[in-house]
Amino acid sequence: MTNPALEQTIDKILNQTEEGILSNIKSALNDSYQTLDDAVPRLEQEYDKILADGKKEADKIEKQIIGSSDLEARNKQLMALEQSVDRVFSQALDQIAETDRSGNYSDLIKSLLDESTKILGTSEVVVFTNSKDRDAVQSALPNYPGSELSPKTIDCLGGVRIQSKDGTMTFDNTIDARIERLKPLIRKEIAAKFGVTN
Amino acid sequence: MAAQGRIVWVSGPAVRADGMAEAKMYETVVVGDSKLVGEVIRLTGDVAFIQVYESTSGLKPGEPVIGTGNPLSVVLGPGIIGQLYDGIQRPLRELSKASGSFIGRGITTTPVDMAKKYHFVPTVSSGDEVAAGNVIGTVQETDLIEHSIMVPPDHAGGKITNIVPEGDYDLETELATTEKNGQTVSLKMYHKWPVRKPRPYKNRYDPTVPLLTGQRVIDTFFPIAKGGTGSIPGAFGTGKTVTLHQIAKWADSQVVVYIGCGERGNEMTEVLVEFPHLKDPRSGKPLMDRTVLVANTSNMPVAAREASIYTGVTIAEYYRDMGKDVVLVADSTSRWAEALREMSGRLEEMPAEEGYPSYLASRLAEFYERAGRVRAAGSPDRDGSVTLIGAVSPSGGDFTEPVTTHTMRFIKTFWALDAKLAYSRHYPSINWMNSYSGYLADIAKWWSENISEDWFDIRSETYGVLQREDTLKEIVRLLGPEALPDEEKLILEVARMVKIALLQQNSFDDVDTYCSPEKQFKLMKLCVDFYKKGQQALKEGAALSDIRELGVVSSLLKARMDVKDDEMPKLDKLDGDMQEQFKSISGVKVSN
Amino acid sequence: MSAKGGGVQYSKIAEIKGPLVVVDDVENAAFDELVEVETKDGERRLGKVLEVGNGKAIVQVFEGTTGLSISGTNAKFVGKVMEMPVSREVLGRVFDGLGRPKDGLPDPIADKFVDINGEPMNPEQREYPKDFIQTGVSVIDGLMTLVRGQKLPIFSGSGMSHNLLAAQIARQASVVGTDDDFAVVFAAIGVQYSEAEYFRRSLEESGALKRSVLFLNTADDPAIERIITPRVALTVAEYLAFELGIHVLVVITDMTNYAEALREISAAREEVPGRKGYPGYLYTDLSTLYERAGKLNGKKGSVTQVPILSMPSDDITHPIPDLTGYITEGQIVVGRDLFRQGVYPPINILMSLSRLMKDGIGEGSTREDHSEISNQVYDAYSRAQEVRALAGIVGKAGLTEIDLRYLELGDTFEKEFLSQATDENRTIEETLTLMWKIVSKLPKNEITKIKDRYVEQYYKEE
Repeated sequence: MTNPALEQTIDKILNQTEEGILSNIKSALNDSYQTLDDAVPRLEQEYDKILADGKKEADKIEKQIIGSSDLEARNKQLMALEQSVDRVFSQALDQIAETDRSGNYSDLIKSLLDESTKILGTSEVVVFTNSKDRDAVQSALPNYPGSELSPKTIDCLGGVRIQSKDGTMTFDNTIDARIERLKPLIRKEIAAKFGVTN
Repeated sequence: MAAQGRIVWVSGPAVRADGMAEAKMYETVVVGDSKLVGEVIRLTGDVAFIQVYESTSGLKPGEPVIGTGNPLSVVLGPGIIGQLYDGIQRPLRELSKASGSFIGRGITTTPVDMAKKYHFVPTVSSGDEVAAGNVIGTVQETDLIEHSIMVPPDHAGGKITNIVPEGDYDLETELATTEKNGQTVSLKMYHKWPVRKPRPYKNRYDPTVPLLTGQRVIDTFFPIAKGGTGSIPGAFGTGKTVTLHQIAKWADSQVVVYIGCGERGNEMTEVLVEFPHLKDPRSGKPLMDRTVLVANTSNMPVAAREASIYTGVTIAEYYRDMGKDVVLVADSTSRWAEALREMSGRLEEMPAEEGYPSYLASRLAEFYERAGRVRAAGSPDRDGSVTLIGAVSPSGGDFTEPVTTHTMRFIKTFWALDAKLAYSRHYPSINWMNSYSGYLADIAKWWSENISEDWFDIRSETYGVLQREDTLKEIVRLLGPEALPDEEKLILEVARMVKIALLQQNSFDDVDTYCSPEKQFKLMKLCVDFYKKGQQALKEGAALSDIRELGVVSSLLKARMDVKDDEMPKLDKLDGDMQEQFKSISGVKVSN
Repeated sequence: MSAKGGGVQYSKIAEIKGPLVVVDDVENAAFDELVEVETKDGERRLGKVLEVGNGKAIVQVFEGTTGLSISGTNAKFVGKVMEMPVSREVLGRVFDGLGRPKDGLPDPIADKFVDINGEPMNPEQREYPKDFIQTGVSVIDGLMTLVRGQKLPIFSGSGMSHNLLAAQIARQASVVGTDDDFAVVFAAIGVQYSEAEYFRRSLEESGALKRSVLFLNTADDPAIERIITPRVALTVAEYLAFELGIHVLVVITDMTNYAEALREISAAREEVPGRKGYPGYLYTDLSTLYERAGKLNGKKGSVTQVPILSMPSDDITHPIPDLTGYITEGQIVVGRDLFRQGVYPPINILMSLSRLMKDGIGEGSTREDHSEISNQVYDAYSRAQEVRALAGIVGKAGLTEIDLRYLELGDTFEKEFLSQATDENRTIEETLTLMWKIVSKLPKNEITKIKDRYVEQYYKEE
């Protein structure tokens, strides 16, 4: 379920924000290395103290300290990365919300309506959208016999949500819902752009 | 015309499709967009109830179902030996080429390599009249298997109008044509046969020849005949699988079909890894050259588990028809019965005991009825056999549960595995008081002709000692062993000897894993002789402790591991030593 | 399964019973599909399709149906089966019973999304397990050896020391002579929080936490979620083993709680029950978990499973241990009597067994005499138990000389060999030496299971 228009937007924003966030990541990384460096003198101190208690015990503590410092450093990296990913997302969403509704935007609406009616298996539907997209949706609806635009608007970035007339079936094809569905995949891509690979 | 319907309902391995008025019962169908294999098991109006042999995860109502017009069948021809099949004869090696380490879905392959060439030697010529079952030529399938190419059992017969000369041909080559009433039929190296239909034969014989397995407790105490039926029930951990593997390894048959039906994956892997390295004790060739494996492990789709038993037995009958002795081992028929139960539940049939369908008993009977020693259809005359051995996994080790009780009605040899024996590491843990063989009288003749005339008497004496011990054990349990007189204590000693030297057998020991009939008899004879000499010595005033501490005792107990099959003189020497040592304690000449 | 047209939300709920929701007028749903159930208040729960057809879908809700109502509940069919995001990054993480982060950290950035049901391993592609794992616990290494790729459950009873033992195995397990990567996947199914926490701490203290993954469904978490917990855990284990080449030890506790969740669903579907109310397909269902242990040709890693289950009323013939025993490659049975006597680990060796032991021991892996000395110890201890029973009736005076030797042997076995401290890590050589010490309590002519050449080499009469 990819959408070229959407992907282009995200790509564009990515390139813009990459640099700012990269420095962010670097400082987070430095932070985590610092944690690791701090752990070494701490380890040495502990080590000397315990040596008398026997090698076995010392080994155990050594493993424990290295283990938990490693983990702590890794977890800090994860949090920093997540923050960056979130920032890319929120900036992307802001920009989409402000996108110009003219030109090929109506093509996007049409493709969303096509997909939705096909999945529900009927065009006898009620269509919901936000106030910004009402005009674009209204002009596309005559292609879908039996469809009607709901007088109620919904709160979303754009796109449509359609419902069968008896109200038992709903398909959410707003841009918000689509991004939500794609989020796990997009996160991986963003992370890859930051040079984080598994 | 093949049926073309649509799925209306999916629940696990069960699917209902409508628009299936053209479908036939037990017809194979292709289910859904991912082209899964299924079989029609009930028809109501135009709705077909289908059991699907692959995972139905992701299947949707509305997807198509297409009939193939054919019942579930196996391909019978050279190339079967050495294969590892799933429950519907798909070669697992080929599946791995398509889907890697895990089993994917919707993969189609041929059961045997159709392009492989075999050297065909015709045995009939143009103009000969042939009938169903006639052999028209042979190919060498493996070093051990000469494979007869037969006219299919459902062939109407006729005159050979054309036959290829000796040479190398693949499976799709037309080897010969027959003509009858203007109808021309072409014969190839293979044919197909529906798995649920037993292959016909000319007539049946009584099973009188023992199937030798090299396992003492089986061959000597509870034997099975070629063409016979046997069952081996036991709780988990009692060594069922090890015993079945031993039979598959050492049975003196030409072909072994091993069905892993709802059991562990690693057990099939073990056979696959081990058999190519093990040598058949008679021919010296790798055991894999006579073995076919059918594996539908416990985590593979449950419907294919139901089919695996039929796939296996049909392959067994095919080799029987060539005049070969075939052993089929099914591990475990309980899992097969559970598959029946699961499908029956989805069909919402009225359950009988423990939820099993009411036709469980008749299905078991039909299966075991496919065993037998027969004269195959067609000419030349060929006598072959299918011996069926089914494992049973009774829940909680309880032999009164339905699968065990129904099975007991249809089999003649019963090897009862005993958890108590297994806990004390007495292996094989076949309980000698609860097991039985209905073939004993029939095959005694073979032993007396081939091994020793007094085999039956010696066996009875040995078994008698075990029976006496069983009663004495009750007394010991209440009063302790010191309450018994010396003659009875001697019985306990001899019984212990019989158990360690004879009944127990270490499958993982290079020497002990297989025991020749001659060695079986000699070991048994040594125990009986020891008993007789012991009785005599007691009468003549020897102390029981002296008998117990004779040096020969410990040699006798270890003889099964220390003396190889080709070292029988060592056992004769042991016998001599025993005579000498008894002389030394009684101080008088011991008569024979 | 691809996302072919999923995502439709249906609002006509026909029935709610037990953990099940029946949705009507469903046009587009697949068997096994993941479902998001949304309550009136906007709370989202996960579920999956158990049966679909004739416009109806039966959905099993993992987080339970408490608080759901016929009106106002929506069910969204997601268009794919349930998947677990996997990557190397899951190491060191803690998840809930459905595989969602429970440690305050974000969702793992997935290398891929994997169907949690897995696919059956092709038996032809399996590699027969034969690498000896030294657990450092004498009774296991000596008498019921664990090998890589094996599934060897611990059968225990309520309140006994199985968790202590499992944790000790997880800490100490190593393959002698290799430095391959290894990891621990721990799945807690309906156990008390303190038990799960004990395990976590034990891993932390041994420095193993960073190469562990924890899935926690504790006693107060939803019961139906327990169907999913072992599956997400095993999905991660398979990924670590077969994609990253790590040797993974999976500890699952307590499988009894899993089987009870399964029974609950079966009862709600009004299926014909098998024994003790458990569904007839319990065996098949359990096998889809246990059979996910193994090694594969051409892959470096392995999945070894040590599931723990508590036998109701210590009854080994109860369907859960019974069916488990038919699938697993042996069992380690914890004995109530030994536990009461204060023995740790309280393992009843006669009821215990490792089927794969024979190929994991002997020359080249442990020692040439291992198989035979182990047979002899089993045999001798079994005799010792018989003599104990007899002595209880006729008194020690009624015993023969040799019987008394066995009696003494039984005590030595339990005190010196079986008993071990929770942080005591014995090498296999130490274990074998102890076994010969026990057998050396017997006169030579009682040794019937060992070849003479080993007896000459190792037997030392006291």
